[in-house]
Amino acid sequence: MSAVIRTEGLSKTYGRRSRGIEDVNLRVDEGEVFGFLGPNGAGKTTTTRTLLNFLRPTGGRAEVFGMDTRRESVAIRTLVGNLPGEFALEDRMTGERLLRFFARLRGVGDLRYAYELAERLGADLKRPMRRLSRGNKQKIGLVQAMFHRPPLLILDEPTGGLDPLVQEEFLEIIGETKAEGRTVFFSSHNLAEVERACDRVGIIRAGRLVAVETTDTLLNKSFRHVSLTFDEPVDPEPFQKLPGVGELSADGTSLTFTLYGNLDEVVKLAARGRLINMEYERPSLEEVFLAYYGDHENGGSS
Amino acid sequence: MSGKQTAERGTKSHGTEERRPWGTLVALVIHTTRLQLRSIVVWGVALGLLNLLTVASFPAVEDQSQVLNDLVESYPPEMRELFGIGEGTDLTKIEDFLAAQTFNFLAPLALAFFPILASAGAIAGAEERGTIDVLLGNPVPRWQLVAGSFIATALSLLGILVILGLFTWVPAVLMDIDLSIRATVEAVLNLWPLCTFFGGLAMLCSALFHRRALAIAIPGAVLVGMYFVDALGNTVDELEDARPFTVFYHYASAIEDGIHWASFGGITLVALLLVLLAALTFSRRDIYT
Repeated sequence: MSAVIRTEGLSKTYGRRSRGIEDVNLRVDEGEVFGFLGPNGAGKTTTTRTLLNFLRPTGGRAEVFGMDTRRESVAIRTLVGNLPGEFALEDRMTGERLLRFFARLRGVGDLRYAYELAERLGADLKRPMRRLSRGNKQKIGLVQAMFHRPPLLILDEPTGGLDPLVQEEFLEIIGETKAEGRTVFFSSHNLAEVERACDRVGIIRAGRLVAVETTDTLLNKSFRHVSLTFDEPVDPEPFQKLPGVGELSADGTSLTFTLYGNLDEVVKLAARGRLINMEYERPSLEEVFLAYYGDHENGGSS
Repeated sequence: MSGKQTAERGTKSHGTEERRPWGTLVALVIHTTRLQLRSIVVWGVALGLLNLLTVASFPAVEDQSQVLNDLVESYPPEMRELFGIGEGTDLTKIEDFLAAQTFNFLAPLALAFFPILASAGAIAGAEERGTIDVLLGNPVPRWQLVAGSFIATALSLLGILVILGLFTWVPAVLMDIDLSIRATVEAVLNLWPLCTFFGGLAMLCSALFHRRALAIAIPGAVLVGMYFVDALGNTVDELEDARPFTVFYHYASAIEDGIHWASFGGITLVALLLVLLAALTFSRRDIYT
């Protein structure tokens, strides 16, 4: 399987004080959906903007489709659909005019797929951008990234501002993209989204790529926040003794703890009492980072 | 299979047509010109109205010609030069009157800000607004963004000049004032290289700095500075040697003396060199949003 994205020791620093990314070695293969994860300021956007030659690397190199990102940037962008993390669209233009303009830049004559995407995502192509909400602008951003069916999609926080139904539709489209053998590289800090869509994930933290794992591996490393409420005061001790239970706190009829192991034993023990409410929450990705990769560094560029 | 082969297969299988490199430049020029359409009308009509009023006031001035010429003669030479009234100006002639009222003073100073604002917005402004990442996510070479914006602005400037010319010549004809169409065309056309020069300078500043305010302030200050040096250089000995380094010295007064084509070409060439520098600078720097 050929590498669509390959970086070797890729670094980008902003002056002396501000860190961007450092020594990032990454390979994304053809046809895979790769999630690029990290908390805000970890270096996700710096990496994607360096791949597109918006930023010049201060060290190392990067290739997309075997082409050098510095020297062959225009050829690379012919093959890439890009949704930036922070972007704006010309205020006075409608989505339709914008898409027609981008189609001319790309030599695309057929806009049927663009209209199909717009319909599926509920994007309003008739109103000028200044009249659209953030979510609606995000939809048009997604359509402009995908309408030309690029072999590689680079999407930076693609579901920011989208409502859950549209997020669901977006993940469907990503699935179809993968089924067509195209590659998706998207950065996110939404674990649920990553779990649904990605084959592999790279985790960047404080500018360094700390892990590249399959999604299953990442999720198995993860833990859950559990909250149980009974109809009468409960003894916390049996729960405390269960394997994988930590940070337990009891408050009369309620128990709250973090579960690092199997849920089965917790459910069986809870079923001995009269359970009136149970909450089982996925941790934020940031918590996963703190749990598995320590908290020795902070901040940085996004 | 190599990454490139995979990409070629992927692109062709999805029906993307063959892309023509110059097609992106043409598309950029059309796109930018469309975005500037409203500005063309606003600038053209605003400056045109100024000229219309100037032409409309000419018959009244003509009647008081001796008084007016005497009044102007009584001004200190420095003040006359600052207001674009050179030695030998006869305000009873419509060409001299228009030169003194607009073409040697207000029109170049005001209209130069159109390309300054447009060029400052093309790079630094697009970075500040956050529109540049989406635009350059397309297969557009950076130099084409610079060239496309500049060409579009130069064309828009011509549109403004056409409106300005019509607002000058038509009222003169209607009021039976003897203003030739040739003098009018030369007067408005002579504004073009001067304004594109400042557009080129603003483009360079826009490429050098990431801030739109700087890309407006620096060419704006150069514009005013050059105007003062040229105007006062006629009467202040210390500034006389600096005059040839200002575009206003080469701009002269086309409505009275016709276009000096060597100056016209020279200023245009300098403007193009500034744009070339801007393209080279922008191609070698990071883009921030």
